[in-house]
Amino acid sequence: MSEATRESVQQSNGKVETSHHPETDPKRKDKNYYGIPPIKHAHWTWQIPVYFWIGGIGAGTHLFSTVAQLLGHEDEAMKRVSRYTVLVTMILSPIFLIWDLGRPERFFNMMRILKLRSPMSTQSWSLIIFGNFAGLLAARQAAEDGLLGRNVLSRLLLKLIPERLLSVLALPFGLFVGFNTGNLISATSVPIWARNWALMAPTFLASGTSTALSWLSLVLHLTGSGEAKTLRALHRAEKATIVIEAGLIAASLVRMNRWGKPLFSKSVAPLFVGGALLSGIAAPAALLFSGKETRGKSILSSLLVLAGGLAFRFALIKAGRISADDPEAYFTFASGESAPQPEDKV
Amino acid sequence: MATGFLTDTTVCIGCKACEVACKQWNQLPADGYEFTGDSYDNTKQLSGTTWRHVAFIENPKKRRLTGDVDLVALAEDVTEPLPGGAELDALGRWAFMSDVCKHCVAAPCQQACPTGSIIRNEFDNVYIQPDICNGCGYCVPACPYGVITQVPNDGRAFKCTLCYDRQIDGLEPACAKACPTNSIQFGDVEDLKVIAERRVQELQDKGYTQAYVWGTPEVGGTGGINGNHSKFILMDEPETYNLPKHPYLPQEKVKGGVIAGAIAAGVLGAVVALAFRD
Repeated sequence: MSEATRESVQQSNGKVETSHHPETDPKRKDKNYYGIPPIKHAHWTWQIPVYFWIGGIGAGTHLFSTVAQLLGHEDEAMKRVSRYTVLVTMILSPIFLIWDLGRPERFFNMMRILKLRSPMSTQSWSLIIFGNFAGLLAARQAAEDGLLGRNVLSRLLLKLIPERLLSVLALPFGLFVGFNTGNLISATSVPIWARNWALMAPTFLASGTSTALSWLSLVLHLTGSGEAKTLRALHRAEKATIVIEAGLIAASLVRMNRWGKPLFSKSVAPLFVGGALLSGIAAPAALLFSGKETRGKSILSSLLVLAGGLAFRFALIKAGRISADDPEAYFTFASGESAPQPEDKV
Repeated sequence: MATGFLTDTTVCIGCKACEVACKQWNQLPADGYEFTGDSYDNTKQLSGTTWRHVAFIENPKKRRLTGDVDLVALAEDVTEPLPGGAELDALGRWAFMSDVCKHCVAAPCQQACPTGSIIRNEFDNVYIQPDICNGCGYCVPACPYGVITQVPNDGRAFKCTLCYDRQIDGLEPACAKACPTNSIQFGDVEDLKVIAERRVQELQDKGYTQAYVWGTPEVGGTGGINGNHSKFILMDEPETYNLPKHPYLPQEKVKGGVIAGAIAAGVLGAVVALAFRD
């Protein structure tokens, strides 16, 4: 050791002075590579959470109208609103999805194969099937409403389309569209999503159903149509689903554990806590459960639920991005028992 | 026959010839001149346009320097006690690791792909058919290693092809060909496994007891995806090289998720039906 080195060693109490200070370099404290994310986040832009939202509305609306039909409750106004709602959501959904593709002109390649283990593949197929059913049902509705004029086509549509059968056949595909979006995000390497694999699909379906019921109640109230019985049923169903949704979100947060932190981070908390929890669940629940049902309160709670549902989906997608970009989250998740194991059961 | 890579990080000198060879052979565009300020590595990570990436890992020893220092021993990273009871905190170890697509045996990206663009080719490598990929990007968050990435101005996803075109012509991949220290070896996966085990034994006999093979299902924690066709000889914990300890197959839980969703659908249907009862 040279004289100069010896001196500097003595001066610094035995510690060597170098230009590199490993112990003061915060990036070297964690075990990762300079904080560079070990996995890549999904590139999804706003189209995807919007699709999750309108897809859920379509699925829930069809569920309500089909259950009403099966129970022999024929409300023409409600049926009309739901048939056209499902049609519009099923036209918009593929548009948003194709818009988000890197090569939109090749969207049809989704149809060259069916992979049961790829939620993206099953989602595409179920959208096509449900969308076609929705188209047929809406065409019949249009013929019934006289939108197609009084001609041979209308009469043919009314005669050839078995309404009851088609709604029942479409129901499983519609519900699949509604809940599979949860599996779509949980079947990834992103800790916050993958951790919640068992509850993601139920949460999405519950939230979708609650937004759908709110949509129906909103339109029926605004147009002043719909039978009193329908409105009562909607009100009761809204109350029940909002409780189920709140329970599922709470259970999801417990399940997500420490990996759920991004939902409460600075950039997502306004959307999640303010949007999804307060305005999407707490406020409408207070309106629904308090006192007598009035038109104004119903309209307000419906609007809040719809906005909250959209905020919830944006919050989850944004939180997934933060989760994927955090090396610490991924490494702790993929280091043992926390990650999904083959032997795990629902 | 399944082909793959064995990347021996203990002999990597960080020359980045593999990165350059890969870029040249596969005609990949540059990623821009970026200065990270973290280390001499300025290409950061694998991406849709960087299919080989050499990580520069500065691995300081956290021991205090006392007594007389033998700088030669320090540089050689000797493991036996130093003369005069000296302890070190200086050079540490500077590890290099040439990262690449792991070509998982149960590949999450391939299972996620809804178009069937990602396949296993005749060499049992995970291969993206660029004429089919429609850029849905679902393979990107599925990959447990952050390898596969969508290229923004192209729209499609890209990653290492294990030089499919060269393999068809009986050539070894460009990176393995260019590697001057044989840190990157290409061959039959079964042969590579034997080579890797032999090399690790050799290292352990020399006193480097921390050396191990990463990428076989039995050891190295990649059992969740049945192991990788790209294996590595590592000298530190996987996280140091930005690799997860126990990567898992995300699609393992799709069936469970569908069952959970179906149960929820039944419950919600019943709730709506009950709401009609007066």
